[in-house]
Amino acid sequence: MTHAAPHATAFTLPDRFGTAEFGGCYAPETLMQPLLDLEAAFVAAVEDPAFQLELKTELRNFVGRPTPLTPAPRLAARLGLDALYLKREDLTHTGAHKINNALAQALLAKRMGKAEIIAETGAGQHGVATAAACARLGLSCTVYMGVTDMARQAPNVARMRMFGATVVPVASGQGTLKEAVNEALRAWAGRCDAAHYILGSALGPHPFPTMVRTFQTVIGEEALAQVLEQRGALPDAVIACAGGGSNGLGLLVPFLGYRLRRFVVEAGGHGDGLGEHAARVSREGQGGGRVGVLHGCKTLLLQDEHGHTAETASISAGLDYPALGPRTRRPRPGREGGGAAGLRRDGAGGREGPV
Amino acid sequence: MEPTMNPLLPFLMAGDPSLAALPGLLSEAKALGLDAIEVGLPHSDPIADGPVLQAAAQRAIADGATPIKVLEALAACAESPDVILFTYLNPLFQLGAERLIGLLRPTPVKALLVVDLPDDQEPDFERTLRDAGYPMVPLLAPTTDLERAKGLLARRPDPGPGAPFAQRFAYVVARLGVTGSDQATDLAPVRERVAALRGLSERPLAVGFGLGDPASLAAVRRWGTTPVVGSALVKALAAGTGLTGFLTPRLT
Ligand SMILES: Cc1ncc(COP(=O)(O)O)c(C=O)c1O
Repeated sequence: MTHAAPHATAFTLPDRFGTAEFGGCYAPETLMQPLLDLEAAFVAAVEDPAFQLELKTELRNFVGRPTPLTPAPRLAARLGLDALYLKREDLTHTGAHKINNALAQALLAKRMGKAEIIAETGAGQHGVATAAACARLGLSCTVYMGVTDMARQAPNVARMRMFGATVVPVASGQGTLKEAVNEALRAWAGRCDAAHYILGSALGPHPFPTMVRTFQTVIGEEALAQVLEQRGALPDAVIACAGGGSNGLGLLVPFLGYRLRRFVVEAGGHGDGLGEHAARVSREGQGGGRVGVLHGCKTLLLQDEHGHTAETASISAGLDYPALGPRTRRPRPGREGGGAAGLRRDGAGGREGPV
Repeated sequence: MEPTMNPLLPFLMAGDPSLAALPGLLSEAKALGLDAIEVGLPHSDPIADGPVLQAAAQRAIADGATPIKVLEALAACAESPDVILFTYLNPLFQLGAERLIGLLRPTPVKALLVVDLPDDQEPDFERTLRDAGYPMVPLLAPTTDLERAKGLLARRPDPGPGAPFAQRFAYVVARLGVTGSDQATDLAPVRERVAALRGLSERPLAVGFGLGDPASLAAVRRWGTTPVVGSALVKALAAGTGLTGFLTPRLT
């Protein structure tokens, strides 16, 4: 909150990003004090060397960091590139970058004395990561997941249950990530005295976008050191995908300030109409995202003329979300801001090149 | 007990069962002698609502109850208690303050209750609406401590005894969680909070979330606070019970 961050001394904690004033904290009153408490706990943890050490140790011994940077020469040749490197977040325990954030937030919850965890999941990767982190730390775990996603990501449902989590099906709407976040927010409002909500991407009300970004930048910090070591030079470009934007920020933020191009790829879906894609930024002003408020933050949002959230489509459950996290946005000409990247959509007709 | 004490604050969802039914429902409420009523403007993602109001919003949206149609329908309600428009920020934000004010002018709306709009997030929007006569209702949750409550009540101030109940009251959220009346609400903690809030402010208080049965409503009324009945009424209307038939036994 802009008005109240007297404790944010050594660590600046922005809650708004860019000229469009993205971000903020548009939460029901029931969640305001829990969010203020979370902000204070997050700042204290980040400034506490003991927390940093514990997190670092767990990232090494439990998550398996650092993850490799793998050169992919055959794919590079096929694409006409000199070199291409893959940052292997798939080689973390549970198989996605989601564990970096889930584990860190679970450690934070434990510090806050919260023994219950609530999470949402889309592809199921964040749910699996949270379930694993909770099993590791002895926290109970309830994951909300849309019924469409449960069907298309069934193996991840089984993995969450194997880690001892309760998976709650969410049948409303199109049964994907948006509805899962709705239901997780409702559940948190009911249990916020005892539970912490581990949001899985860099979205939601302040302090989540900043906190998730902070816990994911380990990706880019490692990648930067690794590419310099392997190639002896900076890359020409860094590329990530964006559902909510957490791996995108995690990879790209440490590369900010260098002379290179930064891309975030969003879901092109199967058509140009509203409801046929999740291209919030690359179609901005052409039936894509308009500034709006969803899930506690102001950001680019796929919505109809009435301010109702639009449906989305993607073959990737993890990218099938109508809003882009508020910290990930197209840079405005002549302005350096907290945003990370130019954005492009995937799918047929997706163009490459700087924005 | 204040003289302005309103016996009951019902909530209904505009467009459910239909927008055509709205004028009749509001005039029934007026005939019951109610000062005010909350009317929900349906939103696609009601993160503070339980299953009953979610379903009502979905039915209303499917039936074409867009924000503009809802406000136009309200403008056609000649006989109505003061209306508190209950909704989420995004539909209002997309209209913008100026257009919204124009649409509100011919309606019985006297105040807005925007669930996901803390008082410091859209100061210009909120000030423009307040200056035009549409103040935001302050919400006080179980997680709101007295210090915070003091600030919230000051930043969304009581215009004073000359103003109608709709513009004066603060909404005390009875329990953690979302709207809905499936689980019985333990009234002891909220009774204590009401007593503590009385020390902060003279303004009328409404208590809601999870209230439905006549006994709980009567208990809340005995504290000198106005009980809110939402999901239970919406469920009754959907099942074909009339508004008057449902509310009459809940008025005393
Ligand atoms: C493997 C993977 N990558 C990317 C994403 C997209 O999320 P984000 O944009 O927050 O990284 C997801 C989301 O579920 C995911 O599972």
